[in-house]
Amino acid sequence: MRKTLLFTGVLILACLFFTGLVFATGEKGAPEVSGPAAEKIIKVGFIYVGPIGDMGWTHAHNQARLMVEKLPWVETIYQESVPEGDTLSTIERMIQQEKCDVVFTTSFGFMDGTIDAARKFPNIIMAHASGFKRAPNVATYMADFYQVYYLNGLMAGALTKTGKIGYVGAFPIPEVKRHINAYTIGVREVNPDAEVHVRWIGAWFDPPAATEATMALIDEGCDVFAFTEDTSTVVEVAAKNGFPSFGHYSPMYDASPDYVVSGQLVHWDVFYLRFLGLVYSGILNSGNLENLDYWGLLREGDVELGAKPGMPVNPAWIGRLGDTHDLVLKRLEQMKNPQMVFDPFTGPLYDRKGNLVLPAGARADYLHLLTIEWAAKGVVGPWPNEP
Amino acid sequence: MELQTFIIDTLSRALAYGTPLLLGTLGEIYCERSGVLNLGVEGMMILGAFAGFVTTYATGNPFLGVLAAAIVGGSASMIHAFFSITIKTNIQVVSGLAITFFGLGLTGVLGRGWEGKPLDASLPIIGSPFLESIPVLGPIFSGQSVLVYISIGLALILWFILFKTSWGISIRSAGEDPEAADALGVNTSLVRYLCVLTGGVLAGIGGAYLSIDYRPSWTQGMTVGMGWIVIALTIFSFWNPLAALIGSYLFGSLFYLSFKLQPYLAPELLMIMPYLTTILALVLLNCSKTFRRRLGVPAALGLPYNREEK
Repeated sequence: MRKTLLFTGVLILACLFFTGLVFATGEKGAPEVSGPAAEKIIKVGFIYVGPIGDMGWTHAHNQARLMVEKLPWVETIYQESVPEGDTLSTIERMIQQEKCDVVFTTSFGFMDGTIDAARKFPNIIMAHASGFKRAPNVATYMADFYQVYYLNGLMAGALTKTGKIGYVGAFPIPEVKRHINAYTIGVREVNPDAEVHVRWIGAWFDPPAATEATMALIDEGCDVFAFTEDTSTVVEVAAKNGFPSFGHYSPMYDASPDYVVSGQLVHWDVFYLRFLGLVYSGILNSGNLENLDYWGLLREGDVELGAKPGMPVNPAWIGRLGDTHDLVLKRLEQMKNPQMVFDPFTGPLYDRKGNLVLPAGARADYLHLLTIEWAAKGVVGPWPNEP
Repeated sequence: MELQTFIIDTLSRALAYGTPLLLGTLGEIYCERSGVLNLGVEGMMILGAFAGFVTTYATGNPFLGVLAAAIVGGSASMIHAFFSITIKTNIQVVSGLAITFFGLGLTGVLGRGWEGKPLDASLPIIGSPFLESIPVLGPIFSGQSVLVYISIGLALILWFILFKTSWGISIRSAGEDPEAADALGVNTSLVRYLCVLTGGVLAGIGGAYLSIDYRPSWTQGMTVGMGWIVIALTIFSFWNPLAALIGSYLFGSLFYLSFKLQPYLAPELLMIMPYLTTILALVLLNCSKTFRRRLGVPAALGLPYNREEK
């Protein structure tokens, strides 16, 4: 009797672990069987840092993957919530067991692992998002929001009554600092005395931390909110307390239609489709990616202004924005212009300590933006690695 | 005045963030007091969070959501009870961890369609002009969810039961010396089952508070390790429901302050405090036998009781 019990017990336990692990590591996308077998099929692997349902970064990459998969000559698989230390082994598995031809590693922390894997598999094409290390078979790509953050900053500057705007940031790294600076430059253009108060939560995904950080900013007197992290927490907490906010990454309009003013949207599919098209036609191969550093802005169509595709500003807020609404649309057109006739990082620009960081008339180049560490005038709060 | 606002802000956030911790800890205290270590709190919490969210979303009734969370959390804990009490294997750690893995994984898959959906119904908020007129305490307590009050009441009731009633003696003796308790006619298995169930139900409700009230939405993995903080808090509060009350709000204050004081103080300093204090508590417990006996580490914690062997 006891033995039988024990046996059933161990069996149940094994099942629990198994289902838990299988679910936790995420199923693989079912390979699509399509077209005549003789046709050339490119198998693409995506490595994600978070869960695909995070409403942020990983979710957006996965939406793009689903669009890519509609191509008849593409098959995709993915692995979600991959720890940075497992980059190499995950890529190995995708190449050796799943026979992937192309691997996209979609987080900054995968950088070194990707380069290691690229050395080991010189014939496989890889592309790493948001990094700066390349190899003959590794390209880098990024869709950057700083221009969109600037536009949202213009709106935030017009909306604040207390002159204090709250910003919840994930980590004090150049990418987030670039966003905050662009946002602050926008705020100050409309409202020269307003401040942008920053709090860091030390995680891309931590809803309770984002909640308490937002509450701390509310207690500080902030009345408009923006953020760079991977959940819709800030939007929800701001709305619960009656404050407007800007969505980030995924369409967050539905999370709070009354309080989301606008936001940043990404279209990773623009890059993936372009890149895979060039791979398919043979223009890009495992020997010529060393100098391919794709940087998608408004002009390229990789990013969009709004909290919902096709809606740059929430109609409920247009009236309250007044003249700023026209300014936003004007700047949007200027940045979408093929000549990019406007950019927020144009000199003269001073950091918050009063140092000149960009001389009059100069425009910040790519390297400057990628390694940005200074804090714009108007930023209030801790700023690690401030020069 | 500035200081008063500061204290009010902090304590009011401590109540809001500390409530799921308190609920989970109260349950784990009962579980461990009866001699069963359940490391599945994180799993039961997230199962409760998901069940609570879905039920509230579907029915529009947040109380039904809390009820569903309690049932789901309780059911999950029964798996653990079965292993640690009926089968009597020395695998309490493993089956607890299994529940955590299982809960996180299952809700991750089932919850995919529920991400980012807004919740219209929420639990009633306690607040009245009279309450707000009380200095300091008024602003801290008004505007809090009804679950905040319920959890405080529960802490008092559970403390009373544990230390002032014969039921409490049965529970504690099951965790201290199940053999002696058995000899005295206590049904050890039943006591342990009920205590594990209490733990599951409360963890489930704690999860529901997170998804229905604290941040009314569902996100995969939204408990982000709160279940593990609960395990730490159980030790930190020396298995005492009243100390759990203080501990939860202390941890809550520290969490809020790590953001509030960020311009002046490295947030990591405050973030590590809960863990640091728990380690200190452990050190204190192991300093001397007297401490160990006085402060109530259940002597038979994690040990199965096998009647036939005696």
